Amino acid sequence: MARGSNNRSRLLLVILLVTALFFITLDLRGVSLTKGSRSVTQSTLAPVQRTVSDIFSPVGRFFSNIKNFGKTKAELDQVEIANAQLKSALTLDQNAKGELAQLKGVLDLAGRGSYKVVAARVIGRGSAATFSQTITLDQGSSSGIRADMSVISANGLVGLVKTVTSSTSIVQLISDPNFKVGVRIARSQSIGILQGQGTNTYSLQLLDPAGTILVGDSLLTNGSDNNHPFVPGVPVGQVTWVDHTTSTLTQSGDVKSYANLNDLGVVSVILSAPSAAPSTPLLPTPAPIVTVYITAPPAPVATGVAVPGTPSASPAAKSLPTPTPTRTK
Amino acid sequence: MSIPRIFATLAFFFVLFIVQESVVSLIHFPIAGFSLYLAIVISLIALEDNNGAIVMGFLGGIVLDLSPTSNAPFGQWALILTIVGYAVAANKESIADLTLSPLTFVLFVAFAVSVALMAYLAFGTLLGEGNGSFRRDIVIVCANAVWTIIFTPIFLPALRNFRRASLTSRER
Repeated sequence: MARGSNNRSRLLLVILLVTALFFITLDLRGVSLTKGSRSVTQSTLAPVQRTVSDIFSPVGRFFSNIKNFGKTKAELDQVEIANAQLKSALTLDQNAKGELAQLKGVLDLAGRGSYKVVAARVIGRGSAATFSQTITLDQGSSSGIRADMSVISANGLVGLVKTVTSSTSIVQLISDPNFKVGVRIARSQSIGILQGQGTNTYSLQLLDPAGTILVGDSLLTNGSDNNHPFVPGVPVGQVTWVDHTTSTLTQSGDVKSYANLNDLGVVSVILSAPSAAPSTPLLPTPAPIVTVYITAPPAPVATGVAVPGTPSASPAAKSLPTPTPTRTK
Repeated sequence: MSIPRIFATLAFFFVLFIVQESVVSLIHFPIAGFSLYLAIVISLIALEDNNGAIVMGFLGGIVLDLSPTSNAPFGQWALILTIVGYAVAANKESIADLTLSPLTFVLFVAFAVSVALMAYLAFGTLLGEGNGSFRRDIVIVCANAVWTIIFTPIFLPALRNFRRASLTSRER
């Protein structure tokens, strides 16, 4: 009896394995049935993801914030002071303010590059079980988004649109192991290929044997034919490590992205770009520091004649010189 | 497994899949992410008999293959979880009576989740998919195992009740 049950289990196993292999073969041969099923799933998930994202985004970083419990007392005191100062600024919704700042930054970058863009909110992330590095956006083909369009944040390239439905799109991030982009070094104009590694750093392989990479080199996208999939001149990242071994023909290194992929709230999809690369580099520039100097005016010379009603006539006015703010950038 | 139970399980997996894709994926877990879906599917597999485990593995894999963010071909998770289902069903009785020892059960599920993820990576490599750095993949697998150990005891009682409720009178 048990032997019969085992045989039945094995038969069932074989049938289901063959079915799974059949699906895999269909997918690899590009049969639209399997591709369509994922598209239907994406359309089904989109409204749920959008709702959950609205409710859940303020508490999404709960677990990562737990790590801060072990900070020293001095740091906690500083945090308490900062917290008290921030309370006054919390009259506006911080989530909305953060998204607004990101949107401003990304539109600023798009404006400098003369790109035609559509802004989109991030409503989902790739599942841990699929090992893919993706985000889901709340805009789709109804907003003009198509597959293979570049996606940027305020600081640079984020990824590439992979699939699109009418109301959502899935973006493959530059950290995805399957992601590759042609880049050029801003300093030397050498061309190379950047590939995601599944981590925060990406590998760069130069194509030019005579080219050199230096730590700190900035990388820009090299661009593609008709600006698809990549538009030229978008900042990608900065070289953090160079492999100096002589065993390879061309140099390679590690790159850190300009865009913070862990903190994406609002991004832009580039719908179209000017035919030529941007005339000025779009590399992120540090924010200008505003320094305010307060200098006292020269002490008034006593003339012996005081006019009533003027500041010099008042002792209080004499002891409190009027500050003259001078603003320098 | 009866036909109504197959449909009930499929519906449950789909709801679970939506929760995974819409809620759990948004949480920034320390170290690396956690797949609640895999943890629950493999827990259910471990509670089933041979045939039930194989069918549940296949159904769980098919639903996971629907993930729009996946780079893998449709059917890869179905293949992996069917094999894992068979392996779990074939080996669980030789380890211990898992229903009597919750700790062993949790460790067994965490181990099975890790094996499933590694099998997925290995099969993906055979198909020519890019899996990123080996170190990063190991970190993801280990993190999943750790989170599975932490979270499985929380949902296990509810899962047992769900299974008991879904059984037909004949299956009981």
